[in-house]
Amino acid sequence: MSETRNPAKPESENLPRLVVLLHWLLAASVFFLFISSWWMLSLPLPSEEFTYRELPFQLHKNIGITLFVAVITMTAMRVRSLLREASSSQGWLQRLAVADHILLYTLLMVCCLSGYLSSSYSGWTTTVWWLVDIPAWSAENDDLNILFSEVHLWSCWVLLGLLLLHIGAAIYHGIGNDDAIDKIFRLR
Amino acid sequence: MQSIFMKNEIAKANVSWLAVMIMLFGLLLLAGHSNELLKQTVIGPGSSADLGMTADCRADELEEEQLSLEECQLMVSNVRIILSSSPQWYRSYQLTLSSLGVAATLFSLVIAFGLINRQSPALRLAILSTALLLIIDVAGFVAAVNTGPLLRAQYLWSLLLWICIHLCMLVAVIRFGQQGETDS
Repeated sequence: MSETRNPAKPESENLPRLVVLLHWLLAASVFFLFISSWWMLSLPLPSEEFTYRELPFQLHKNIGITLFVAVITMTAMRVRSLLREASSSQGWLQRLAVADHILLYTLLMVCCLSGYLSSSYSGWTTTVWWLVDIPAWSAENDDLNILFSEVHLWSCWVLLGLLLLHIGAAIYHGIGNDDAIDKIFRLR
Repeated sequence: MQSIFMKNEIAKANVSWLAVMIMLFGLLLLAGHSNELLKQTVIGPGSSADLGMTADCRADELEEEQLSLEECQLMVSNVRIILSSSPQWYRSYQLTLSSLGVAATLFSLVIAFGLINRQSPALRLAILSTALLLIIDVAGFVAAVNTGPLLRAQYLWSLLLWICIHLCMLVAVIRFGQQGETDS
């Protein structure tokens, strides 16, 4: 296969390797969190006898906390280029792409934070990867637990909608064979 | 000259599209196999639902989870369905198959990177990895056929869908490989 690039296509700047790796790590984590959470919520409610939820919920929180750190890192690394793209974007497709990315990052953070706050107000402790205890935000509070559970639930549904838009855009770029696909796969 | 350029562009577009598809379905499958691993780890014989314990449905928990009392009780039945419908060999078989599935899926994701980064053996390896995923789907399907009807109802449809997806992808990879060889 030739390495010749279509001269009509503009060359865009490469993404740092860490951003590429974080993008795919986030993608794998988000898919797993969605699929596993749909299943784990069908498990029997926790009690002294029924401990089925213990491992899935701890794992869910561990991945969520790791994902939050990854999103913050990725946002910090991409904020400048996203702002530049936002100010120079022409056409509704480009503007939609920039808005989709900004909303995706924001919603990922909201999902993680609301999940943590909900868990914190539920009175359950969080130990990251069974190693480090995370202090509870506050004492147990059922009303706030329910409130943040709702925020977590709805922000995740909106996130899923945006992800589908993101996936649609990836397929569009894949069929068009443009630089967007090269950028997010390029490890050099 | 124009025709060679067009052919290269089409071949690259095919590979680019293929890599996106491998990544998309690969990530979904990775989540599916990982969740199956988690499921088989958590739901084991001899656990409380298997011992016939009744559900503990406290009113405050029901309100918090927005569940009815009946739903809460059926959650335990749901676990019993899995346990009573699984033959003795099924859990260890699923644990092994899901572990293989995770490994094969990770391999296919690496191949997708190779396709975009223009690594020459990537297309041939893509055939291998997709065939491997197809074999794992078929092995899962055959196992599910040999379980009880309650478990078959849970597994067969999604496994059939995965078989179709991987079959389509395998045919596409083989065809793109043939086109690449003809063009070069």
